Amino acid sequence: MNGVVLAAIAIVAIIVASMATFVVDPTEQALILRFGQPVRDLIDAPGLYFKWPFVDTVVYIDKRILALDNERQEVLVSDNQRLEVDAFVRYKIDDPLLFYQSVTNTRGADAQLGGMLNSALRRSLSGASITDIVRDKRDALMADIRDQMITGAKRFGLQVVDVRIKRADLPAENSEAVFRRMQTERQQRAASYRAQGSQQSQQIKAEADRKVTVITAQAQQQSEQIRGEGDGERNRIFAEAYGADPEFFAFYRSMQAYQNSFANGQTRALMSPKSDFFRYFSTPTPAPEAATAPVPAPSAKAD
Amino acid sequence: MSWNNQGGGPWKSPGRGPWGQGPFGPPPTGDLEEIIRRVQEALAKLTPGGSGGGIGKGFGGRGALFLVLAALLLWFAWGTFYTVQPSEVGINLVFGRYTGKTAAGLNTNWPWPIGSVIKVPVWDQQITEVGYRSLGASADIPEESQMLTGDKNIVDVHFRVNWQIDPAKPEDYVFNILNPRETVKAVAESIMREVVGLKTIDGILTTDRASVEADVQKRMQDLLNTYRAGVLVKQVQLQSVDAPSQVLSAYRDVTAAQQDQQRAVNEAETYANKVVPEAEGGAARIVAEANAYREQTILEAKGQTSRYNQIYEQYKKAPGVTRERMYLETMERVLGPMDKTIVDSNSASPPVPYIALEPLQSKPGASGK
Repeated sequence: MNGVVLAAIAIVAIIVASMATFVVDPTEQALILRFGQPVRDLIDAPGLYFKWPFVDTVVYIDKRILALDNERQEVLVSDNQRLEVDAFVRYKIDDPLLFYQSVTNTRGADAQLGGMLNSALRRSLSGASITDIVRDKRDALMADIRDQMITGAKRFGLQVVDVRIKRADLPAENSEAVFRRMQTERQQRAASYRAQGSQQSQQIKAEADRKVTVITAQAQQQSEQIRGEGDGERNRIFAEAYGADPEFFAFYRSMQAYQNSFANGQTRALMSPKSDFFRYFSTPTPAPEAATAPVPAPSAKAD
Repeated sequence: MSWNNQGGGPWKSPGRGPWGQGPFGPPPTGDLEEIIRRVQEALAKLTPGGSGGGIGKGFGGRGALFLVLAALLLWFAWGTFYTVQPSEVGINLVFGRYTGKTAAGLNTNWPWPIGSVIKVPVWDQQITEVGYRSLGASADIPEESQMLTGDKNIVDVHFRVNWQIDPAKPEDYVFNILNPRETVKAVAESIMREVVGLKTIDGILTTDRASVEADVQKRMQDLLNTYRAGVLVKQVQLQSVDAPSQVLSAYRDVTAAQQDQQRAVNEAETYANKVVPEAEGGAARIVAEANAYREQTILEAKGQTSRYNQIYEQYKKAPGVTRERMYLETMERVLGPMDKTIVDSNSASPPVPYIALEPLQSKPGASGK
């Protein structure tokens, strides 16, 4: 009997003890509500805590950095361009009581922040160009949106840690236009490379041809000069040798010329018997007459 | 068994016992004995009529005590020990309070519901893939991979981030961020687009790749540090950077065109390398021929003059006879093979040519001339 009572008392004690204690994790903070009214200070250090059973309820509120990934928004930016923007918010619950009273839970907070983010995005990006958003002023625009969000989120006890534009893309139909532009740009570039190749090829070949012409002409020039030297030297040698007795040279050279000119033997000659050659044709005694050289017929082949 | 054993390393949080009341005494088993003693005291107080001497008062009390002791022993034996794998760090919590980290091996903490352990795989290499999935069907995810460049072109980027939980701060990873894995991915996407937005498409397709990787890694680490995420970004790897599939063929054609250009230039160079040396060879030949001509001309002239001079030397000794002999010898040779017609004419006028005297032509070859 004694044991049964003991056990019952022990069980009740354990149940009551478990209802009077609670544990706060490092990821959490806790509000104590007594019949819905907040009592005591916020509990933001982890550990074991006590409360009145049945009377107090504990509301655990996340202490970590929470994420809001916004739905993709189509935003009208300057020049009537449209841009699809994805942004995310990282926030903490800074004032759990205000948070609990205003939005109750993270779903409510996400809804509020989502609306806030959309209007902040539109406000900040509407005046910016696509280049600003993508390249030039991205940091400044994100900081601007973040500042708006920080101010707005305070009303819900939230501290916005960061707002970042994740994606900023063109809508599908505009992307098509970009693709077409990229394609034509590349086609131009390809055509330009091929044209440059043709141009360089022509240049190189023309230059080679020019070199060939010049080299040949230089060689010709040199050749003529060398041949001229040879001819000149020949003349000098002849002049030196023949100058000593011009008359004998004329005779000697004439003899050679006759011999060479009529060497083929196909010449017909009409000859006068009175020519010097026939001096002894009719008489063996010398007849000192004026000699007449044989005259070649007009049909004779000239050498 | 002892609480103090587990805190022997550098992670021991000094001066703080499991109950947050200050350090326990040095005897290794003192805490367990003390708990048993407290339970005994509490039971003794609860037992009616037994103030101070409750223990040993009847069988029922003994039995209950025995049961409670046995339950306590079981609870301890089951709950106190745990194993940490080599790739992990254990995080000890006592009533939700972070009390320290434990290394790989057998470790102890208070059993549930007093204590709990979170094992964090800090040494595992985590991979976050963006723009593609190496596992599964979808090799390309255009809405993740296509992004705008600074010159308003679109580029298709697949990359992965290799990261790990910071072994020095696993508690940040576990306690500071809701869903850190998603955070790493969102940060990676955001930063990559930011960095790609600073580049031109030509740059990112060619020379800027390495700098993009380093830049993204650094910016990611900086941003995650501001979140105190407890994440180490080890490496950012660009798996592929391409023009979008819609325009890929045009981009490849540019490469082909560059090669065409190079080929045209090479062909022209080949032509030039062929014709110019050939022309140089031809030029050398022309010059050599000219030199040969010069030598030949001079030598011929020298030969002829030498012959002449020898004849002349002899001529000078007997001019009249030599001249006559030369004349006659020449005429002999000249007139010998000729057709000859001797016309006796007393006049000094040249003989009248008469043409149609066919029978006179003894040589058949002459008629063809």
